Amino acid sequence: MSYERFLADDPVVVTAALTGGIHGKEANPNLPETPEEIGKAAAAAEEAGAAIVHVHARTDNGERAFSTARFQEIDDAIRRYADDVVIQHTTGATAAPTEKRHRSLRTDPPPEMASLDMGPLNRYDRLTSENTIATIDALYDEMADRGIKPEMEVFNDGHLNEVHGLLDRRDLGDLPYATLIFGPGTLTRPRPRNLLNAVDNLPEGALFNTLGFGRHQLPFATMGILLGGNVRVGLEDNVYYRQGELAESNAQLVERVVRVADELGREVVTPDQARDVLGL
Amino acid sequence: MTCPYLSYRTSADSESFDEARAYCGAAERFVQPMRADICNDRFELDHAEDCGIYVEHASDDPDVSDPAVSTTAGGDS
Repeated sequence: MSYERFLADDPVVVTAALTGGIHGKEANPNLPETPEEIGKAAAAAEEAGAAIVHVHARTDNGERAFSTARFQEIDDAIRRYADDVVIQHTTGATAAPTEKRHRSLRTDPPPEMASLDMGPLNRYDRLTSENTIATIDALYDEMADRGIKPEMEVFNDGHLNEVHGLLDRRDLGDLPYATLIFGPGTLTRPRPRNLLNAVDNLPEGALFNTLGFGRHQLPFATMGILLGGNVRVGLEDNVYYRQGELAESNAQLVERVVRVADELGREVVTPDQARDVLGL
Repeated sequence: MTCPYLSYRTSADSESFDEARAYCGAAERFVQPMRADICNDRFELDHAEDCGIYVEHASDDPDVSDPAVSTTAGGDS
C-alpha cells in the first residue's frame, strides 16, 4: 500500500522538530529554546522545505514549560518570522500532571496539529511517560473539539495496537496520521525490517511519518521516503549532522532530507499542499 | 527541597550560556532540561527516588548522607 504511494509520485511532507523537551543547548548550542529563537528556526526550516514545525515550549534557560501563554508566545514568533508553516504542538510531558498536557491545545488560534503519544515509554532509568488510554482519549477529545489534527506518535509496536484501538473508539476521519518512531530504550529497534513491519500494521488508509532518533534519522527518513511515507527531522531528535559533527541548525537537517527526496523523485510539499495531503 | 547537587550556573569548564542552567555537582556537568525537573522536585518528582545520578552518589557522599542536608530525611522517600 505505502510503496504504491512512492510509485505514484505522491508528495512528501517534511516536519521539522525544532526544539523538543529533553535535551537543550547543553547538547547542541544551535538548538533553539526561546520563542524568538524558535520563531526564526521555524522560518529557516520552512524556507528549507519543512511544511510542519513540531514545537515544545521552554523557559528562557531551556527548561520545560507547559503554559498556554508560553505556547502562544512561540506561535506568535513563528507567525512573525515564518510564512505559512503548519504549527504542531506537543502534548507530551513525562512526569508532569495530565492537566498540563492540555494547555498547548488552548492557544488562539489553536495549533493545526498536535502530537498524541500512543502509550507508555521509559525515560532515563527511573521515569516512565505513562500515556494511559484515558489520557490519550482525553487529549484526543480536546483536539477534536478544537479542530486539531492528531499526530499519533508510535514509539513501539504495542502502540500500533493503541492506534487501532483509538480508531475503534473515535472517528478520526479519512486520513489518520501516525509517526513511526525508532531508536533506543522502549522504542522499536531501529532496523529496516521493523519499519516495514510497522507500515504493514498501520490501519488501512493511514498516512505515516518516519522518525529515527540520533544516527538513525537520515537512514530512516530515506527509507520512509522510499516506502511512500513522510519524514520528520530536527534537533529534537538528533543533534548531529554526521558522526562527531553537531548540526548547525534545524534547516541544515531539513535541507539534507529535501535533497534525498528530490533524488528519489518525490516532491516536497509546501505548507498549503501539506494541508491538502493531511486533510487539515 | 531540591537536590543538594543542583546549582544554577552560566558557565562550567568550556561551556557557557546566556541564562543560568541546571548544573549537577555529582555528574559535574550541565544536565538536560528534563532532568532539571527531577533536580527541582517539580510536579511529584523526587530526586532521591527518580534520579539515578543522585542515588549513585548520595550513598558515598557524607555531606549528602548527613540527615541535616539529606532530602531523604524523615523517611518519606
